[in-house]
Amino acid sequence: MDKDFSPAPLDDQDLNTLFEAAQRDTPELDPEFLMRLQAQAAAAVPQSARPKPPRLRLFQRLSGVVAQFGGWPAGAGLAMAGAAGVVIGISPPDAVLDITSAYFQTESLSELTGIGFEAEFNWEDT
Amino acid sequence: MALDASQNLEDAELLARFAKGDRTAAQVLTARLAPLVFAQAFRMLGDRAEAEDVTQDSLLRLWHAAPDWQPGQAKVTTWLYRVTSNLCIDRMRKSKRHSGEEVPDMPDEGPDMERRLQDRARAQALRAALGDLPDRQKQAMVLRHLEGLSNPDVAQIMQISVEAVESLMSRGKRSLAHALAPQKKALGLKDDG
Repeated sequence: MDKDFSPAPLDDQDLNTLFEAAQRDTPELDPEFLMRLQAQAAAAVPQSARPKPPRLRLFQRLSGVVAQFGGWPAGAGLAMAGAAGVVIGISPPDAVLDITSAYFQTESLSELTGIGFEAEFNWEDT
Repeated sequence: MALDASQNLEDAELLARFAKGDRTAAQVLTARLAPLVFAQAFRMLGDRAEAEDVTQDSLLRLWHAAPDWQPGQAKVTTWLYRVTSNLCIDRMRKSKRHSGEEVPDMPDEGPDMERRLQDRARAQALRAALGDLPDRQKQAMVLRHLEGLSNPDVAQIMQISVEAVESLMSRGKRSLAHALAPQKKALGLKDDG
């Protein structure tokens, strides 16, 4: 029978020696690499969870809206136009009254437009 | 929150604060976890650049998981060990470059340089032999014998029973013992043969 020349396997003590060597043979983390990881972590902090800016007060928000439409001078003009509309509505001048009276005294659409009722249905005969 | 106060918090609490936008929590967690992840990755891959890639990837996955993290679901370190281990195994599968085949950095000169050279040679031989083990055996061996975790911790990380862990390690040790036998003398181990 042939003799087995294969080497004897390592025992537990040999294996532990190798494991301990591998544990010691582990380099330290590079400080520059750690700084990069820190920056990466800071960038990954959820955006929606970051503190929100304080809410603007009503006047500040109104100022923002007014500024978009041309500032306070434009706002004053708009307010003036609105006030004039209210005055005209409550106590209209004579010229305005004539126009509205004439409009509401007409009886039908055909009277206003000058087109007869029959004309609207002429297409049926063709 | 102040840096000093954050240092004393549990990982899970820091992660919850991270998810709420606390940058200090991000800083403390990174400083605490990155060395652990890097050490595990280096011990599995034996290559600094690859270990750094895995560290970066593992932590990014943790940051992405933070908003949905359920308190009490698992320890943050257990989760990280699992992710890191899987990433390392993926890399070992893709590149056949096991650490033992690489030209290593030489240790810096110093009083115990001879011992460090021997450690380096032994570590490389071990990593090369580990690289030839089936994935699950390799994972169990690294977590138990290189990271120094308990069998129940390894079982939790690998999501298997403790008995299954013991079985994997028994087979893994047997394979390593035979694979490394021809290098016994070169590695400075006692030679009974």
